Amino acid sequence: MDHFAFASLAQIKILLVPVGSITKSFFEKRAAEIRSFDSIPLGDITVGDKDQRARLLPTTNTLATGYLHLSFPSHPPPESHLPLSLLRPSAFPLGVIGITSCSAETFEHTPTYFDGAVRDVISSEHVLPVSRVCFAFEEASDGAELNTSLLGVEVIPKMDTKQTKLHLGTLLASLCSRILIDLSDFVQNLESPIGNEYLNSGLFATLPPSQLPSALDPEQRSESPPSSHSQPELPTISNLRKSSTLKRTSSPGPTLPSLRQPTLSASASGKKRASGIGAASSHGRLFKVFGDSFLLAGRTEDAVVWYAEALAMFKGLPDPLWHASVLEGLATVPILEAWASGTGLDPWIDPAEKITQASSMYSKIIPGHDQDQQYPFLTYLYITCVLRHASLLYSVWSAKGWGPVAFTTLLNPGPTPHIPPTLIHPDQLSFVNLERLSINSGIKRSQISEVLSQAHGPWLLHLGSRERIAILQFIAATYGYLGYRRKEAYILRETIGCVMDLVVCGREHYDDYRLSSAKPVVIGQDALTPATGTLGVRESEPTEGNEGVVKLVKYVCKIHGVDLEAVNVVETGPEAIRPRHSWTRDEKLPEDDLPKEPIGWPELQIGIVREAIAVAEALPDYAAVAQFCLSALKNLHPVMTSTDQNQLYAGATRALTTTKRRGDSRTVEYWTGTPIVTIELTPLPFVRLPVEKSISLLQESDRSIGKTLAVTTDPFLYNPRRSLNSKGNLLVVQNENLEFQVTLRNPFVFDLELSSLSLSTSGVTFESKPIPVLVPANSFHPVLITGRALEAGNLVVRGCFVQAPNGLSREFGLPLSTEEEEDKLMKRKTAIACEYGRTKYSGLAAHPWERPTEKRASIIAPSSKKPAKPIRYMDFKVVPGLPLLRIRRTSLTHSAVMLYNGERSTIRITLENVSSLLIDYLNLTFDDSTMGPAQQALLEGELSVFDTYETEYDLIHRQVLTWDAENDKVEIPPGKMMTVTVSCFGKAGCTNGSIHISYAYSRQALGTDPPADNFYTRQLTYPVLVTVYHMLECYDMDILSHSGLNDRVGVGLPDASLEESEGYNWCLFSIEVRNTYGLPFEVTFERMDKGCAKSLPDSVVASTCRTVPPGSTSRIILPLRKLLLKEEHASRPIPSLSGRQFVVGKSKLSSEDVRLQRELFWYREELLKTIRGRWKEAGGSRSGDLSLRHQRLTKPMLHALRTDPIHVQMELLQQGDDEESRKIVNRRGGKFRAPPNEFLFLRIRIRNVSPADFISTASVFFEPEKHVIYQGILQGIPLGEVQNGETRELEMAICFVSCGSFELRAQVEILNAPRGEPAGSGHATVLVEDE
Amino acid sequence: MRKADAENKDIFLLDKTKAMSHHIFILSPTDTPLYSLTHYSSKPVQSTGSSLSSNLPSWSTSAFAGTLTALSGASSATQHHTSGGGGVRVGGGQDRHVIQMIANASLDAIEEVMRRDSAMYLKSVDKFNEWIVSAFVTAGNKDMKFIILHETKNDDGIKVFFNDLWELYVKTAMNPFHTAHTPIRSAVFDSRVRASAKKNL
Repeated sequence: MDHFAFASLAQIKILLVPVGSITKSFFEKRAAEIRSFDSIPLGDITVGDKDQRARLLPTTNTLATGYLHLSFPSHPPPESHLPLSLLRPSAFPLGVIGITSCSAETFEHTPTYFDGAVRDVISSEHVLPVSRVCFAFEEASDGAELNTSLLGVEVIPKMDTKQTKLHLGTLLASLCSRILIDLSDFVQNLESPIGNEYLNSGLFATLPPSQLPSALDPEQRSESPPSSHSQPELPTISNLRKSSTLKRTSSPGPTLPSLRQPTLSASASGKKRASGIGAASSHGRLFKVFGDSFLLAGRTEDAVVWYAEALAMFKGLPDPLWHASVLEGLATVPILEAWASGTGLDPWIDPAEKITQASSMYSKIIPGHDQDQQYPFLTYLYITCVLRHASLLYSVWSAKGWGPVAFTTLLNPGPTPHIPPTLIHPDQLSFVNLERLSINSGIKRSQISEVLSQAHGPWLLHLGSRERIAILQFIAATYGYLGYRRKEAYILRETIGCVMDLVVCGREHYDDYRLSSAKPVVIGQDALTPATGTLGVRESEPTEGNEGVVKLVKYVCKIHGVDLEAVNVVETGPEAIRPRHSWTRDEKLPEDDLPKEPIGWPELQIGIVREAIAVAEALPDYAAVAQFCLSALKNLHPVMTSTDQNQLYAGATRALTTTKRRGDSRTVEYWTGTPIVTIELTPLPFVRLPVEKSISLLQESDRSIGKTLAVTTDPFLYNPRRSLNSKGNLLVVQNENLEFQVTLRNPFVFDLELSSLSLSTSGVTFESKPIPVLVPANSFHPVLITGRALEAGNLVVRGCFVQAPNGLSREFGLPLSTEEEEDKLMKRKTAIACEYGRTKYSGLAAHPWERPTEKRASIIAPSSKKPAKPIRYMDFKVVPGLPLLRIRRTSLTHSAVMLYNGERSTIRITLENVSSLLIDYLNLTFDDSTMGPAQQALLEGELSVFDTYETEYDLIHRQVLTWDAENDKVEIPPGKMMTVTVSCFGKAGCTNGSIHISYAYSRQALGTDPPADNFYTRQLTYPVLVTVYHMLECYDMDILSHSGLNDRVGVGLPDASLEESEGYNWCLFSIEVRNTYGLPFEVTFERMDKGCAKSLPDSVVASTCRTVPPGSTSRIILPLRKLLLKEEHASRPIPSLSGRQFVVGKSKLSSEDVRLQRELFWYREELLKTIRGRWKEAGGSRSGDLSLRHQRLTKPMLHALRTDPIHVQMELLQQGDDEESRKIVNRRGGKFRAPPNEFLFLRIRIRNVSPADFISTASVFFEPEKHVIYQGILQGIPLGEVQNGETRELEMAICFVSCGSFELRAQVEILNAPRGEPAGSGHATVLVEDE
Repeated sequence: MRKADAENKDIFLLDKTKAMSHHIFILSPTDTPLYSLTHYSSKPVQSTGSSLSSNLPSWSTSAFAGTLTALSGASSATQHHTSGGGGVRVGGGQDRHVIQMIANASLDAIEEVMRRDSAMYLKSVDKFNEWIVSAFVTAGNKDMKFIILHETKNDDGIKVFFNDLWELYVKTAMNPFHTAHTPIRSAVFDSRVRASAKKNL
């Protein structure tokens, strides 16, 4: 391809052609060797003789300071450019080098082959002389036997590199000298008047190659050519030379070129010359040709002189095209000189100006009559001129200023002219680097761009495809290296358009050709009609080059911010299943949720994507079509209209189908973002839900307490492990269907088709069928996937496999996110949301693939220090198969129970085993509405110790529902039934209860080896509605002391028998019972006595029965034996029934109060054991218990109930008949009746009834004291140690000195007793009256 | 926008000469257009095209050739010279696309100059095909770019217009809900920009 090197005007083009059968690599290698000679010093060229032929050769006088510049293309310019031969001789090859190998089999025929090769590349209309030589490289050193005398073949023996190079240099120098000789011959021919006429004919001076020589000197054709290697088709050279020799009288002088004198006849004036020759045309063009020739010959000084001459001529007779060309030539000269001398001055301003001038002249040329032919050339010249300018600036810029690097770039750009050494590394394309180049060179990038943009315009259409592509390529590359990537993309679009147009048109031509060539085969017109049936023939289109075009398209799109590779195209080999892909966390980030900044120009993006798809379709590369469509959809769907989206989707689907049909092994990966939002296990129905139980439960015998106080069984109030345990794996059952609900998301406006959706699991085998899904447009769509785990063990649901039609299946994982990750994700989201609307990177740097990654990194950084945690997925524990039970029937109607408070009844439940497994474990637990609040209250721990005990007692001993397992061994074989009986207790306040039946096939768990820790149960729940009528209310319990009662009541006791036994050990229990219900009830209170008869523990010794009518209250009184509990019994702490953790009491009670509280508690317990209340429906059969649990025992009641430890009895005696004998004073109504003023004896009998021994003192009090005369002391009468059961008596004489009522009291105090109260006291009332 | 097109058609119907057009874009820092306007002024265009761009051949009919024709600027050139009849006629949509392409490509030059100069008004910063590109870069770190594509030089008018546009933009941007990426759809903004364009361009 053309390189638009700045100095191309000064380069001799020598074509390299392969000759004979040689390999490409051989040719390339040898060509590279030859190409290393990009310049040859003039000193190496054979010095010309004085012959006119050798005018262009360096003279002996001139010091060989100049250089010949060579370029070695391997393709000739297109034939269509031939009209430019004279205007632009440097564009055409002046020499041909054939490259062959000595070891080629057909070496002998090399000259023939070479001729043929030359004929192929040099058209017959080629006007310029072409020198030729064929280099035969020896590959082996034993090539001695070869015929080395082949005509026009130079054999290059195998030598070391240096020698070869030397040899090649010599050969090239001799070829160059031949070229120069031929060229000077050719130029000489033009010098003739007729030559000059041809030169001035038309705009481009077309030289008819066939006419010129024949018209001039036809007979000279047979003459042997001056050089055996020169082009035989150009015999004009010698003829012309011959005819013009006469005019040339002198050899060229050292400073003045030779041609000038003969042609111009001493005067330098153009006008004169024109007339002097006698031809109508000026010599301007001729001088320009001379200038060009000298430029090629490396003689810059001569060239400048001739150019100046030409310019002078054009001043008079404007010829803008040639004028501009002269300017271009002139501009080249300083560069050559600078290169040769290596000066670092800044002479590029001048050439740049000249070129600017030239380009403006080119652009203003108005073509002549045959416009259509001239436009392409004019445009081409104009554009090359502009590009020459641009490449000058670009070279200087990229070489950091005017200097040797720049000269080299300008002269010999090498194979990659656009990549200067300063920009080889991609990092060097950064803004800073490019700006540095601008500052160093003093050329702004915008300047270069401005020049370049002049080359671009509608006139591009004039050009042929070849030139256009080359030019666009050059412009694009230059823009690219200027860092103007949008402009590059713009030009590349045009380039793609150009290439694709050729592809499409070429195919059409081919089709036409094929059709027309096929026609003769078809016999008759009818054969063409489809009715006869035609065979569809699919051409296998060549695919080479497609990749390049696709790459270009992708690049253009990427510049516009569309990543066409967002969806990968992959080869599907025979291994259809790809290895499991393990996720990194980042993939989990749901991109769709984040606010995205729009990047790029949506309208342009869509346009470009459409074009890209059209390109891929035209190639055709259907996999790329699909890739482009899907990538565009993935990235651009927010800005696309629904029509576009639908079209793209349809296009992609079609393309994928075509890909598959055509047997293309490529297909696209799954493309939409993450389609799966959530995966959830549909919760198992309660009756199927397995529950893990400890195996120890199977051995446990007492189940009830544990269950009732389930909440409190944990010995710790706060157990950190409890929350962990509750998060255990979900349990599912082997061989039973599991339903997973997968939520899919479709953000597009079309219905998304998924050809298969299946769960991705690991662990135990999971049987599930992939299902096709159609996700409706713009929605979240739930899908149910059913499957079964075939073994017991762990099942991990990693995510889903998703496959689009004809696409590749892809796994999407859905790891469980821990709190930390959620936190991280949230942070990231906030960080991104925070950055939304702020702009750090603008323009192209804002593209996600351009943006530096530090931003994201900084957000993740803190966590990256920690070791990455393993990713967790949804985890299930598959337990072995479990039996299934159902409730067949119950004895309840509408599962409701109605009870009186305290009543008991039973519920019968019939269970049926509907599974094929045996049930050998059955356990019933219960729950009722009173338990919850009570347990809650217990948990809160705010209750007093007493209340806690009461609540616990209530929970444990007074459950609404209870079950007595008849026997531990329960077995329900498959299909069989069993009945269980549950008793139900009416407890006020209960509204409902439930029966939980848990069952299992426990032998399975027990049978394993090693024995499992756990087994799995299932449970059934049967709710019961409970109605409890609260009909009898007990309140106002009281306990009265017997003696006090006597006092109050006055006379008579209800039960005289009490008096008989041990009068002072009795008290009275009384309670009010109110009937709040509509029916009368018979209430019975019974006293159980275990003290009387030890053999019969709980016999009813006394009872009171009363019928309580509706709405009325009855008081029930029952005599009660006083109690005395041992000290150590009564001082025990109030126990906890549940064995909970001990809680330090919060109450600030004194030890005295605590003691009292404990006493009250224990005495009450004793009382409740003794007294039992019962009720019975009057005239009915229903009966039940009356609870006294709500009654409180108060301190006076305690006193009444408790027996004093020491029993004090006071008697009043009077002197009997005998000195010694005493008799008890008359008693009436509990009072002693004594006469006044008489000596009496007071006997105090003290008896220790307590189990302990005491040392005690007694005190006696009289009231009123002053009317009593007594003997002895009253206070602190020592009694000594009174043993258990021992009785002491004290006697003292007293005398009442007045009538009236006296109170006598005696108190016994225990020595060192902790309290101030007396241990026992007695009193007597004496009525003193006269007889 | 549609209104402008309609006006444009009217002009074409009234006199067959092409009205001079200005294409105005407001681009966000990520190159997304937030606002665009095509303004046709009543002044006629003086054709200054190169003689080379005349008499273009219609050398291929494939769709890709159409793209090339449009991108090289040939379609509008043809319209110039054939005054709406004959020749390669590509739809207005294609032209619009090309104008957008040019505006987008000119960002390269704008970015370069912008980073070197501190001036806000970058006059005739780029040239492409027949279009001259002038730009205005707002102050601050948001770097909103106003781009105008015009055919003839009118530095002062464009400067005044840009200043008006800036003021209008700043007023819009003061809306707390307006971010650097919010498209401007305010009717008031639009009508004021049109008024300023009518006055200055």
